[in-house]
Amino acid sequence: MRKRPSSDQVDLVFGALDVLILRTLLWGPTHGHGIAKSIERLSQDTLKVEHGSLYPALQRLLQEGWIKANWGISENNQRAKFYRLTPAGKRKLTDETSRWERFAAAVTGVLRPAESEES
Amino acid sequence: MSLRRTWAKLRALFHPEASDLPEEIQSHLSMEEADNLARGMTPEEARLAARQRFGNVTLIVERTRDMWTWTNLEMLKMDALYGLRQLRRSPGFAIVAILTLTFGTGANTAIFSVVNAVLLQPLPFSAPDRLVSGFETEAAPGDYPVNPADYLDWQARNHSFDSTSAYSWTRPYSIAGQGAAAAAAGTEVQANFFHTLGIAPMLGRGFAQGEDSAGNNHVAVLSFGFWKSQFGGDRNILGKTLTLDADRYTVVGVMPPIFHFPAGNDVWIPFNMQEKQFSQRGNHGIRVLGRLKQAVTLAQAGRDLLNISRQIEKEFPDQNKNVHAVLIPLKKQLVGDSEQRLLVLLCAVGLVLLIACVNVANLLLARAAGRQREIALRASLGAGRFRLVRQLITESLMLSLTGALLGIAGAWWLLRLLDRATTHFVPRLNPIGIDAHVLLFTLLLGVVSAMLFGLVPALQLSRGRLNDSLKASAQSVGGAGAGRQTLRDILVLSEIAITLALLVGAGLLLRSFVKLETADIGIDTNNLLTVNINLPDTSYPTFADRRRFFDALEQRAQQIPAVKQAAISVEIPLEGGNNGYVVIDGSKDRDLAKTLLGFNYVTPGYLKTFGIPLLRGRGLTSSDYEHDGIAAQKAYQIWQAAGNQTPKMPPDVIFHAAISRGAARAFWKKQDPIGNTFHYGGVPVVVVGIVDDVNEYGLRQETLPQAYFPFSIAQAYGGGSTLTLRTSVSPASVVRELRVTVQRLDPGLALLHPRSMQDVIADQTEDTRMQTLLLSGFAALALILSSVGLYGVMSYTVTQRTREIGIRMAIGASPGDVLRMILLHGLGLTLGGIACGVLLSFALSRSITGLLFGTSPFDPLVFAAVATLLAAIATIAYVIPARRATVIDPTQALRAD
Repeated sequence: MRKRPSSDQVDLVFGALDVLILRTLLWGPTHGHGIAKSIERLSQDTLKVEHGSLYPALQRLLQEGWIKANWGISENNQRAKFYRLTPAGKRKLTDETSRWERFAAAVTGVLRPAESEES
Repeated sequence: MSLRRTWAKLRALFHPEASDLPEEIQSHLSMEEADNLARGMTPEEARLAARQRFGNVTLIVERTRDMWTWTNLEMLKMDALYGLRQLRRSPGFAIVAILTLTFGTGANTAIFSVVNAVLLQPLPFSAPDRLVSGFETEAAPGDYPVNPADYLDWQARNHSFDSTSAYSWTRPYSIAGQGAAAAAAGTEVQANFFHTLGIAPMLGRGFAQGEDSAGNNHVAVLSFGFWKSQFGGDRNILGKTLTLDADRYTVVGVMPPIFHFPAGNDVWIPFNMQEKQFSQRGNHGIRVLGRLKQAVTLAQAGRDLLNISRQIEKEFPDQNKNVHAVLIPLKKQLVGDSEQRLLVLLCAVGLVLLIACVNVANLLLARAAGRQREIALRASLGAGRFRLVRQLITESLMLSLTGALLGIAGAWWLLRLLDRATTHFVPRLNPIGIDAHVLLFTLLLGVVSAMLFGLVPALQLSRGRLNDSLKASAQSVGGAGAGRQTLRDILVLSEIAITLALLVGAGLLLRSFVKLETADIGIDTNNLLTVNINLPDTSYPTFADRRRFFDALEQRAQQIPAVKQAAISVEIPLEGGNNGYVVIDGSKDRDLAKTLLGFNYVTPGYLKTFGIPLLRGRGLTSSDYEHDGIAAQKAYQIWQAAGNQTPKMPPDVIFHAAISRGAARAFWKKQDPIGNTFHYGGVPVVVVGIVDDVNEYGLRQETLPQAYFPFSIAQAYGGGSTLTLRTSVSPASVVRELRVTVQRLDPGLALLHPRSMQDVIADQTEDTRMQTLLLSGFAALALILSSVGLYGVMSYTVTQRTREIGIRMAIGASPGDVLRMILLHGLGLTLGGIACGVLLSFALSRSITGLLFGTSPFDPLVFAAVATLLAAIATIAYVIPARRATVIDPTQALRAD
């Protein structure tokens, strides 16, 4: 019970993280370490992810049925858990992407006039 | 949270997910480490950097796992599993505790089911709180049934009722069918009876308006039970014919199974209120109920009817003096004195549960000492006090709810036993069973009792000083347990006190029961068989027809070999009867106008059959019988013609009567009544003899003045009668032969209600028998529980004080000294408990005064017997552990722990 308010905040941060994870998995199954690296590479290191924070997010995505997990062998011959996108996850990603774009456009729209007034 | 995730979590409760998380994290860290090494870090740097990058592993693991759980639910599961392990580790404790609680909650559930059905649930009619019953007062104290003429005036003049309905006494009818005639209980009701009650038939219809007038009234409605037993639940019953006392009725409806009003009724037939015999004011013969108008209160309706009855009093000052209307809510009337009986039982089972809780609390306290170190360890490992209390309460709840569950099963069994006896014990208002209310009550009881017995030990335990407990021996001499010992002593003392109170209640009831069973009613109750025989007007229309039948019946019955003496009468002792006011010739005593004289009409053999001693004068003879029968026919015609006036009788209309000793004393004081006359309804009655008093109105009723007239007088009115046989063998064995005898005379007649006089008495003691049985059962349960409790505490004390006893013995105390010390402790508890119990009983037993018969609520014999019994059993409970203390070996004891 005590965790309630703070977990709401986490959800908000993880909300963005969820989309990023799904987006990363679009290229194919990979493990947690791979996901972390991909996000860093894709955002040109703008988005620094504390690697650990991936795991609660991965659990949530598993529970929602957007991803599935299996143990496998990594590129350097190490046992690792691989995550892959489910069809439901793909649909979710499409929805989230378009929502994100509309949201970003709206925020940009709101911010731009303020910038021009200042200049 | 989405449904899907909720489901996933629920599943995870039983199949833990993410159990491979540590491995996964490990694999993640080693990949990062490998990357770092590739970037040229030293192995040490690579490991640290990977960790740093990952964040707090423990926290992440916990947070990830949290994704799969509700912390609270998980904790509950943990507590429950932990509790289960604890209970499994001490199965003896668990079984005793659960069994104790099963008895406690079971008894409560059973009694509450009855209370729920009888007292709490509304009557199964629509808007039942608007239903009231009507009665009339008289010059003599008491509420009486209603006079039909008065009732018709109420019905016409009142402004308070949506509808009112009259109904007759329920009486047995002969029903003709295939083979021998059988009996059915029937009640005549006004056509609006079912409508007034607000209940519809299950099949067919109720009575239509006007169906209670002459010519239309040969229709009948059946009870569900009668329909099932007599017609096998035939769905095509409507329109079929039922023959009641030689009259044919068309079945128009069947009532639902829930309907039992009036109690025990099988058939409802229309009540013709216009019949002539009802025109006379002053008689009270019908029952009345009414449905109040929406906005009218009971008090308003009562005032309305009181005004109407005052008007009637003015119109008929002779017959209706002091006759006023009284209204009682129908529910209250039906519940009657079963309310007090049930509340007493509910209190009793409540006390039993309290004792059960005290016992379990004691067990928990004893166990608490053993768990002190475990609890302290958990506390020192970081368990909060709330968490510890919660753990202990969870364990208590597991015990109490298991007990409650088993208790429901026990209650179900007890209810089946009760169900067979409830007709006399409590009225059948609603079906008695375990419904949602009862389940909720039991659940609540489980939770409340868990709080009662679990909270104190839990708080005590969690408050314990950690340090002391962790140190090896907390149970040193005197030790930390001293406070707990006092608490346990108080608990046991209160158990004994409560038990004494319950035993006193049971003892008082038992004494009452014995007094009821052995009460002297003035007759010889052995080997008496009584049956009702009702001659239908249709087949016995005249006085001569009835006279011929009854003469033949008495004669033939007398010829049955096992019959010593036969008699026919209208009433028999204990079953009530008619009564009225008489005028004593030559007396000016005004009080006599308020004294009722009971009437019975008997054949000459009545006194001999019942064994009623003749004190003076003579009994009724066959010439009285002959003469009064003729006189009664004349008187009956004159009464019919006179309407509400007191008629003048011709000089040859004279009756004869034997009166009881009480009647002689009440009406003639010191004068000799024999040869004197009194007048009833204008007819002079000559007193021919005085017989001993007989209780005519019921075991619990006072014996009233009584007069015995020749049975031939009753034959002038109709054919209702009771045949009584004094037998030389067991009465039940004569029934078959008597039935053959009766049906040889008239195959359409059933033997109605054949009973021995002992059965008649048993009918009247049934409620007390049941109450006594139940209360004794509960008291016995309390006695067992509290003895077990006392035994438990004493043996625990001995175990706890092993070291102290060892020291005492080592420094020279003899086994006798030790025995004395322990015995004094047990004796103190017992005597203290008994003393408190006596005080408690004084306070409580006043509340059962109404249930007692011929027994004072402070009956010293009962108090003494109960205290002795309790002391004796308690002594056994503490002597056994005390003896064990004496064989303690000091060297062993000192080394103990």
